[in-house]
Amino acid sequence: MIQKINAPVSVNLSYDSLNKKVSINEVIWNNKIYPIVKLGLHHFFRRGRTLYHVFSVASENLFFRLILNSETLHWNLEQIADEY
Amino acid sequence: MNIKDKFGKNLSDMDFNPGIPFIMHLDINSCFATIEQQANPFLRGKPLVVAAYDSPGGCVLAPSIEAKRIGIKVGMRVKDAKEIFPKVVVLPSDPWKYRNVHLSLRRILSDYTDKLVPKSIDEFVLNLEGYPCLIKRDIKDIAKEIKLRIKNEIGEWMSVSVGISTNRFLAKLGSSLHKPDGLDEINKNNYLDIYSNLKLTDLNGIKVRNSIRLNGVGIFSVLDFYNAPLWKLKSSFKSINGLYWYLRLRGWEIDDFKTKRRSYGNSYALPKPFKTVKELTPILMKLVEKMSFRLRMANYKANGIHLAIYYRDHTFWHKGVKTKKELFSTQDIYKEMFRLLSLSYLGKPVREIFVSCFNLVGSFVSQLELFNDVPKKEKLIKSIDQINNRWGEFVIFSAKMSNTENYIPDRIAFGGVKELEEFTLR
Repeated sequence: MIQKINAPVSVNLSYDSLNKKVSINEVIWNNKIYPIVKLGLHHFFRRGRTLYHVFSVASENLFFRLILNSETLHWNLEQIADEY
Repeated sequence: MNIKDKFGKNLSDMDFNPGIPFIMHLDINSCFATIEQQANPFLRGKPLVVAAYDSPGGCVLAPSIEAKRIGIKVGMRVKDAKEIFPKVVVLPSDPWKYRNVHLSLRRILSDYTDKLVPKSIDEFVLNLEGYPCLIKRDIKDIAKEIKLRIKNEIGEWMSVSVGISTNRFLAKLGSSLHKPDGLDEINKNNYLDIYSNLKLTDLNGIKVRNSIRLNGVGIFSVLDFYNAPLWKLKSSFKSINGLYWYLRLRGWEIDDFKTKRRSYGNSYALPKPFKTVKELTPILMKLVEKMSFRLRMANYKANGIHLAIYYRDHTFWHKGVKTKKELFSTQDIYKEMFRLLSLSYLGKPVREIFVSCFNLVGSFVSQLELFNDVPKKEKLIKSIDQINNRWGEFVIFSAKMSNTENYIPDRIAFGGVKELEEFTLR
């Protein structure tokens, strides 16, 4: 089931300069740590001049849609979904 | 160049094109649904549909491969899809997700040729004739490499069907032979085998009416169609289309023409049966705002507008007018549109509104007016557009558009690629 959240979230991200790859390692939300096992898709969109990066990622049991505002560098958890 | 100059004078005696196939057609399988499954791994392998609205009356835009297997089709209502499979996952469309995948795919394909034509958000045609990638390799190897790169660089769940042939039509046909994840070549050695296993309606462009037309002259199969003499096809289609089909089926290229932008338009299917001027005008204003913004961003003005309304009782009304004045501002276009709206059948519940503008002219030189300061107006509108570009769509908008936040969401046009040109150029 999909649930809209729209709340600030903490994200642990790393960048591998050799392979030029960004990985999201953990999402910390509601005082719980969710280790990320899969990056499904990264895409972006613009609202006005501001570029937003969207990361669709999954932990063992939950899907997260995370949005990074590239101007403020703040993260927002837009949506979660569990197994259908 | 006319057809006789291109193919020689003896058109009625042409064989299948003996050339090496250089045209490749790529088609992302169940595009929107596959991208959603790529983004969310929990959706993979499950029947899902991307729909215009997730309400029961919403139209299915893209069923996943799993949903197609159980009979869910494009164009069905969400409630019909749920009748077939009650647990089907219904997702709203996410245009930017699909546009990003389109751009990533375009980046991969442009490594092989610059003769790359996007036919829609999920279809590309490549012409590889004379390109270095083919010097030491077979075109099928290139196709396999592209398929692998899509999985590695976009996502492992993404799959494309590829067709290869000597013209665009047969390359597209090739891509539809084995879905999903197919790779087929149609060439001078195998075209008869392939044609003998197809129905007339398997050909892109031949549906029920054309099929009946062909049956009328004794053509019942694709092989009959191929073997039919040119005079028979001309008499069947009663137009140049007979010749086009004759050449297409023989692998000769006649579909590589470029189309020019002639109009801008926006449409909206209303969620409620609005019928009064008070209810319809905010929607009309927002449609005009979206359309005129796109018109101005492409540096055009318009000398004509068109309004079409599809009513809930399945009747249709439309009217277009040419204007003496070059239109570019939202307010001016809206005024003309409102005039047209007042001529329509007001009072009947509306299902869909379409606005468009045509007779486009470049907006580099302005026609001055006696009573209006056109340059001043242009500067004002340009400033408003710049603010909306900087801070986001509809930061400054007309009061007539109030309370329309939930209406006319971002959409991807079906089939068209003009809309894609706009966002890739920005």
